[in-house]
Amino acid sequence: MIASRSGRDGFLPVLRAEWTKFRTVRGWVAAMSAAALMMVLVALLAGMSGGPRNGSPVPIGPGGEAVTDSFYLAHRTLSGDGGITVAVASLETVLPSGPGGMEPGVVPWAKAGIIFKRSTDQGSSYVAIMVTPGHGVRMQYDYTGDIAGPASPTAAPRWLRLERSGDAVTGYASADGTRWTEVATVRPRDLGGTVHGGLFVASPASVDGPGTLPSVSTADFTGLGVHGGWSAADWTGTQIGPDSPTFAGYPPPASGAFTDDGGRLTLTGSGDIAPATREILATGGTLRDILTGTFPALVAVMVVGTLFITTEYRQNLIHVTLTADPGRGRTLAAKAIVLAVAAFATGLTGALAGGLLGTWLAEAGGVYVFPVPLSAALRVALGTAALLAAASVLALAAGAILRRGAAAVTAVFAVVVLPYLLIAVPFTPSAVSNAVARMTPGAAFAVQQTLTPYDQVDSVYTPYTGYYPLEPWAGLAVLAVYAAAGLTAAAVLLRRRDA
Amino acid sequence: MKAALHAEWTKLRTVRGCLWLLVGMAAVTVAASAAATSVSTCSSPGCGGDVTLLSLFGVEFGQALAAVLAVLVIGGEYGSGMIRATVAAVPRRGVVFAAKSVVVSGVVVAAGTVAVLGSLLAGRFVLPGRGFTAAHGHAPPSLADGPTLRAAAGSVLYLVLIALIGLGVAAVVRDSATGIGLVLGLLYLLPVIGGVVGDPGLRRVLATFAPTSAGLGVRATTDLAGLPLAPWAGLAVTAGWAAVALTVGGVLLKARDV
Amino acid sequence: MNPLMRRERGPLSGPGIVVAGLRKRYGSAQALDGMSFSVRPGVVTGFVGPNGAGKSTTMRAILGLSAVEAGTALIGGTPYRRLRRPLTHVGSLLDAGALHPGRSARDHLLWLAHSQGLGARRVDAVIGQVGLASVAGRKAGGFSLGMRQRLGIAAALLGDPPIVMLDEPFNGMDPEGIIWMRGLLRGLAGQGRAVLVSSHLMSEVQDTAGHLVVAGRGRAVADASVAELVASASGGRVVLRTTAAARAMGLLARAGATVASDGGESVTVAGLSAERVVALLNTNAVPFSEVSAHRASLEEVYLELTREAVEYRAATSEVPR
Repeated sequence: MIASRSGRDGFLPVLRAEWTKFRTVRGWVAAMSAAALMMVLVALLAGMSGGPRNGSPVPIGPGGEAVTDSFYLAHRTLSGDGGITVAVASLETVLPSGPGGMEPGVVPWAKAGIIFKRSTDQGSSYVAIMVTPGHGVRMQYDYTGDIAGPASPTAAPRWLRLERSGDAVTGYASADGTRWTEVATVRPRDLGGTVHGGLFVASPASVDGPGTLPSVSTADFTGLGVHGGWSAADWTGTQIGPDSPTFAGYPPPASGAFTDDGGRLTLTGSGDIAPATREILATGGTLRDILTGTFPALVAVMVVGTLFITTEYRQNLIHVTLTADPGRGRTLAAKAIVLAVAAFATGLTGALAGGLLGTWLAEAGGVYVFPVPLSAALRVALGTAALLAAASVLALAAGAILRRGAAAVTAVFAVVVLPYLLIAVPFTPSAVSNAVARMTPGAAFAVQQTLTPYDQVDSVYTPYTGYYPLEPWAGLAVLAVYAAAGLTAAAVLLRRRDA
Repeated sequence: MKAALHAEWTKLRTVRGCLWLLVGMAAVTVAASAAATSVSTCSSPGCGGDVTLLSLFGVEFGQALAAVLAVLVIGGEYGSGMIRATVAAVPRRGVVFAAKSVVVSGVVVAAGTVAVLGSLLAGRFVLPGRGFTAAHGHAPPSLADGPTLRAAAGSVLYLVLIALIGLGVAAVVRDSATGIGLVLGLLYLLPVIGGVVGDPGLRRVLATFAPTSAGLGVRATTDLAGLPLAPWAGLAVTAGWAAVALTVGGVLLKARDV
Repeated sequence: MNPLMRRERGPLSGPGIVVAGLRKRYGSAQALDGMSFSVRPGVVTGFVGPNGAGKSTTMRAILGLSAVEAGTALIGGTPYRRLRRPLTHVGSLLDAGALHPGRSARDHLLWLAHSQGLGARRVDAVIGQVGLASVAGRKAGGFSLGMRQRLGIAAALLGDPPIVMLDEPFNGMDPEGIIWMRGLLRGLAGQGRAVLVSSHLMSEVQDTAGHLVVAGRGRAVADASVAELVASASGGRVVLRTTAAARAMGLLARAGATVASDGGESVTVAGLSAERVVALLNTNAVPFSEVSAHRASLEEVYLELTREAVEYRAATSEVPR
């Protein structure tokens, strides 16, 4: 339709005109500024609120991440090289049932095995090999490392062995104690010269719908043998990290225990030795929560995005606009670019200022904030800005299609804000919130995710807790697709309809 | 006043959008309530849960449409310029505003009653199948039950108050789109912020003074001690918001040019 | 063929508007039904017709705002939507209320200027030209209708276009404003621009327009110069008052005139000029008390031409847009 005469060289003036239009309506500029301000204010509110000041510190692993390091350990010290071998004769788990009662249950990531740990301090470097009810033999180290061993046969015993040679520790597994399979050799970050070695039992919380239940596991060990520079002392039972923000404690009346019954050793333990998730460390703050001001900012940029075109319809200004530049698709594109740039700048300002101030304030107030690598922080800031930009374009498209401000604002609320609310309330079933975070424009909030879900930790991984089903940029792409589709439909309608 | 009321009523009923919004409000409320009840489960005796609150869950979403309707009643007139004809016909603007409030309240009461009764009915139908049975300690929600009746009547009142907040805000901003954005932002923003505020004191303040979280407590029939405010006191907070919005809106409508 | 329809006069000498066979339907109403006319440079063309005759729809079609089912509307040979920097080709004012109420008058013109690659200097020039310099910084939402009209005119003149098209520009103007507007329109035409001005009142344009397009029921029922229109309606008739009606009628009929008597002293003569009638009567010593040219007013012509359209309107009572 549009002849080549009015091609690319005609676009810059249109863009400039739309920019002039945008910046000369005081209300719109004010709304955009208010959006950035809201992001900062909400961040301050979220950060100011102070955490448990005199509680125990959150244990931090050698990699800098928050960890759960609370389990039951029977240990001696090992200086220099050496090894340890044991058979796990049984591993059984109980879960709370009604007030004061316990009943047998299955916790797939309950752990019974052997470990070398730098110290009994929480968060210290370690390497361990273990039997699990649901995931076979695993060799794990430094909280985040997880290597699968042979799949566990149903029948116990399952033989395990760790051998230390300098910095390297090799794990072996065997079904009969004679034919051994090497699982892996790993080099923990900071094991030190003398380690605490021995037997351990961990029993993480069991996921039960939107929450978790604490569990307790008991394991019998037989055939314990050691060689190398072990101390001569007796095996000592110790609860690692009994008071920790990442450990809920034993469900009463259970408690940790260690008994040595003539070569048959029995350990009872709860807790875990693994990276911490949001469910375990509920008091921890996340960058996403600090940036909750994205919600009011989103409302503001979408209202402005809608008004940017619907006021033209209301005042018949659209006639003037389209006589000034009859290229209708081009006019719409110019509007979209102006809006997107303004919303992006708003979002970037708000995310950077709010994120930095809120995080600083929270940490100063003693709140543990899940650490965010610089690259992820930049992704969150740029992604939040892009989210607002795309949402404003979607709002513009809705305005161009519906031509009425009220209808368009209601429509964009339904497609963008409603999904956000469904994600932001705790009682939305995870199936629903995951579907919402996958398919609706609300998927874009994945771009604010800073938490890492771990395969070796069963937890409540829902958008509400900060774990999104889509990768950050993929989530943003979903919104971008909606915006692009909306804009295309708007362009087609704008061309087809009488102005 | 009677003529003004009649005029406002005629205006409202002759625009099809209003009827659709009211129907939508009832439909959204019932649908969201039914969805909430059908994803809840009660697997054992003493599983907790409040069947009335659960059945009236949809009010959280229905309120959005009540607010939109109210904003449009005023914002739409500013958009089309009809407000000038309105105040030319009834120069006492306080009367115009009061008439609009009454008419909006009336239609929201009607649609809200349908929405609330429909939600309770859906709850009665769905909940027993999800384990909320007498054997598990839950009777189906019934209006014969005092607290449930209070929850139902309170929910209808709550919807009216939210609509009146919308009316007041619209009279202040004089634009539909801006009004809808502001009101819906107000309704849903404070609860969302409340979720991320770690400080318990601050969180309680937010829950106590936000129009939604305070007023929606009127739906609860069990565990009342866990509410930020008692049911009627919570609704009074929402009423306070409505009163402020209406007062500011009314004063500005009188003071400013149309 | 309507005798008032313009005969082909060959190609346009400068840029103008050529509208040919526009047809458009809104639902069951035929808004445009073969609308055709042209607008020439150097003259103000009045586009008159009753409400609902299709004037605004035609203007919207010329500007590419409304799609038509048939026909073309060309600006110097090009459809509006293919014009590059269109405001430098056609300046138009359709609706003086078409502005954002929160934007200042100057900012309104500024974005328009930017869309055409023009600078702020041109904005200030047109603001001065329409006499809004003292209020340019004020929000346009507070403007009176007359001020909005002036702002709209400023927007139309922004690109210094050879064609200016205004829809009902006299609406809401005070007498002083109307005089100013007439002067402006004449001045624009005097500079060689093509000027198209619509109005539903003939009286508003008859003193300004040199050419008239009369619209009725979606088509042009007349397209002619003001002189042609008046002459055709008057038919060059002369009214003669005489006590010797029979003698005078015989004399004038022999001279080639068509004569008619009302039975009394008044005789209507067609086909001879008043001067010729006086000369003949004097030569033949026929007494008479008065000889006058019968001149139809433009208003009469207009009413005559549009009667059909008005009747149609009254019968249907509602014509969308």
